[in-house]
Amino acid sequence: MSATLVPETASAASTMRRNFWRGVWRVMKRKPSRMAGVVILAGFILMAVVGPMLLPEHLPGDTSSITQPPSWEHWFGTDPQGRDVLALVVKGSRYVLLTAAVTALITVVAGTAIGLFSGFKRGRWDTVLMRLTDMKLTIPGLPLLLVLATVWQFGSPLQMGLVLGLLGWGGVARAVRSQTLSLRERGFIEAARGLGLSTSHIIGRELLPSMAPYIAMNMLISVTGAVYSQVGLFFLGVLPYESDNWGVMLNLAVFQAGAMVTPTALGYLLGPLLAILLLTLAIVLVVDAMDEIFNPRLREE
Amino acid sequence: MKRLAAVVALLGLATATAACSGGTTNKSGGSGGGGGGLFTTIDVTRTGLEATAPANPYNPKGNAFVGFNAMRIGWVKNHLTDPNQALPGIAASWEIAPDNSSITLKLQPNAKWSDGKPVTAEDVKMSIGIAYTQGSTAFSITPGAAGAAADVTVVDPQTLKITQDMANPSPKFARGVLDTNVLPAHVWSSVLPADFWDKLKAARGDGADAEKAREEITALGEKVIAFAPPKDVSAGPFVLERVNPSEALLVKNPNFYNAANVAPAQVKFLNYTGNEQIWNYLTQGKLDQAGFTATPTDVMNRIKQAPGNEIIKGYSPVAVSMAFNQSKKPYDNVHVRRGLAYLINRDEVTKVASPEGGTPAVTTSGIHQKAAQAWIPETLPQLEPYKPDVAKAEKEFEQAGLTKKDGKWTLADGSAWKVSMHAPAGFSDWLSAQENIKTQLTKAGVDAEVVTTADYPLYLSELNAGKYDVGFWLMALGPAPYDIYQRLYGASNGWTNIGNKVTHAAPGKNGNWMGGPEEIEVDGAKINPGELTAKLNSVGDAEAKPIMAQLAKAANQDLPVIQLWDYVNTQFVNNNRFTGWPKDDELLRGGGNVLMAGVWIQQGLIKAKQ
Repeated sequence: MSATLVPETASAASTMRRNFWRGVWRVMKRKPSRMAGVVILAGFILMAVVGPMLLPEHLPGDTSSITQPPSWEHWFGTDPQGRDVLALVVKGSRYVLLTAAVTALITVVAGTAIGLFSGFKRGRWDTVLMRLTDMKLTIPGLPLLLVLATVWQFGSPLQMGLVLGLLGWGGVARAVRSQTLSLRERGFIEAARGLGLSTSHIIGRELLPSMAPYIAMNMLISVTGAVYSQVGLFFLGVLPYESDNWGVMLNLAVFQAGAMVTPTALGYLLGPLLAILLLTLAIVLVVDAMDEIFNPRLREE
Repeated sequence: MKRLAAVVALLGLATATAACSGGTTNKSGGSGGGGGGLFTTIDVTRTGLEATAPANPYNPKGNAFVGFNAMRIGWVKNHLTDPNQALPGIAASWEIAPDNSSITLKLQPNAKWSDGKPVTAEDVKMSIGIAYTQGSTAFSITPGAAGAAADVTVVDPQTLKITQDMANPSPKFARGVLDTNVLPAHVWSSVLPADFWDKLKAARGDGADAEKAREEITALGEKVIAFAPPKDVSAGPFVLERVNPSEALLVKNPNFYNAANVAPAQVKFLNYTGNEQIWNYLTQGKLDQAGFTATPTDVMNRIKQAPGNEIIKGYSPVAVSMAFNQSKKPYDNVHVRRGLAYLINRDEVTKVASPEGGTPAVTTSGIHQKAAQAWIPETLPQLEPYKPDVAKAEKEFEQAGLTKKDGKWTLADGSAWKVSMHAPAGFSDWLSAQENIKTQLTKAGVDAEVVTTADYPLYLSELNAGKYDVGFWLMALGPAPYDIYQRLYGASNGWTNIGNKVTHAAPGKNGNWMGGPEEIEVDGAKINPGELTAKLNSVGDAEAKPIMAQLAKAANQDLPVIQLWDYVNTQFVNNNRFTGWPKDDELLRGGGNVLMAGVWIQQGLIKAKQ
């Protein structure tokens, strides 16, 4: 009996996967903006991975053309050292995206694990973990980061991402817990329990897939949060100075090059600013697509 | 409906903004006795107005604007060589004994406080007592401090005599006396205990009692800083009317001794949180005057375009340098320091970092180039100029035992070498300079990085603790010769001068973070630069010159620092409402936190435009 069942299940799963990707394609096609989101996001990832390899380790400066407005030669002008702003943005993207990725990973893993465990086990564990989460949520993120920045120097994106991730899992944990609480009372979980399936099976194969879209969206949103936080910290000048960091560039554009006073420095301000805007836009568009892919009620046939 | 609400709200906002800008419009011929109207400026010495801070010149956030509503005995000038020159303040005139042993002050005969009471010698004496609690240069209780006063005598209500302790005299004793805030005794006398002067006498002795008295006087310092007069009582040309977070308003003091020649009826200090806000005020032509503010070229061009704006440039006795911690390898080797000096193009650094506020250093002499022309004109041409020369740099590095591997210089033992330069985060010109130096060095195969520290006090404490390899360091702080060279051969390099006795601490001890050699060979003879510098504190001009020549040579060949650029005092003024701005180098900059515009106004130099 089981011998006949197994191939059937496998083929059913592959059919489902095919259907899923077909669904994804359909959802994407419906709104070109979603395609644009995916393309921009892919472009940023490509830029962060390949970009810095194509540029010299230290960008050459030209003191005869400092703080120049945008031109054909320099699309976003030059910085006060005479370096190409676009090249600086490309070089800086790696730190930003790597930090965001690490943050997202930690937020999702920690948040989901705590939320699932708490919601599924309930009782004393739930109380303890949720009070911990509440405490974490009451601590304001940016001021805490400002204080932490005086103790640690977030020189590497991994450190930065780790800290941002550890500060950011609270919301995800709360959301996942509430989803778990609602899902665990549903019929399919009751059935799985009735069948005597193991807890790990129920959580891993039944609960988690139903929550995947939710978690994925939270992950992308935490990416934008991570980008804002780190750029903000660098802009405020509390983190170590690195000339190709987006936040540092924004800071120098305003406070050193005078972008608010003179239009020549506008390119220097716009370069990193547009990069952040585009990245956020791409994430918002992808989240929009994801919402429809995973939420059957939004699917328009 | 919603749209209509939004339009209404927007309109409301527009009117509000218009009302605000109407409030800050600067028109001449306003109300007030002087008839000169409103004078708008900023306090460049500190960022951010504190509405609740007292009108106390010793309070770091205090709303006492020195030169405007806070007076000093005199207003010290920036003469190239004579530190004791000053403009009259509360003292109308003074006589300095030829051997600098005393100064006799004659107060302004008509000086009155803003509440109508006369300014007397007792006020000045009490002010000197308060200066003691703050440990000023002339009024120091540190045993053996150079140039400290011995006695303060009230000769008559208009005359005071202050004598110098000749055990360890300083030629700039008079400067220290003149540069003292004058406060009203009838408001401030409660700050000092009745037996203060006895305590001061006790503090000058030796032993436990003296130590206790010194501690008590120092403890009074905190009380002085916190003291809040119920209302501003000023002997200056203005008196504080009100402060809010966006501006401080001062009105003319009708009792000021030279009130007839004070042009503005009111003075407004605008709040700012950073340079970019000052640039904004300046490009809009809002400010009648602003002191030195680091400004990029493009912004400067826009400021110049605003109607009436004028830039006055003058001498500023400060230079900035790249300083080495010689306890760290490879900076202990003079050839490494010289090699770096040959690699750094100072013209380029200055062009990028301080195009409007600095001139590239002609060489490392320890002195601002203008002062050097006055002090050591014959020695200056003999100094090595360290013009950019890669070949010379490589030769120096080779002499230091460094090796070049795959186009990169490594230490003698083959390990990687990275020139790690430190600067405080907010100092945009220093950061810009270091970023440029980094580019220059990496081009020549020397790896380099720029590291920032959160703020200036933290930067100084970490620098002092020997945490940095290389940092930027202000130097050549004139006009007194001792002050100039103690930046290179003073406490930061191991030499302390207490009670006219110079001692040298080992590198890393007692604040010796530079860690330079105790003796340097100059013209075939060994000299002790710290002892020579200490000597500058007690000799006259003629004797100082050969010592300064020796020190310049020592600094030039030993390079404890690489002098990068000499600051230029860039002042921003606007001729639309007021005229008569001084162009004289000596008057453009005062000592410490003096706002020179207030001094110009009270001297009657500034006239309302007719």
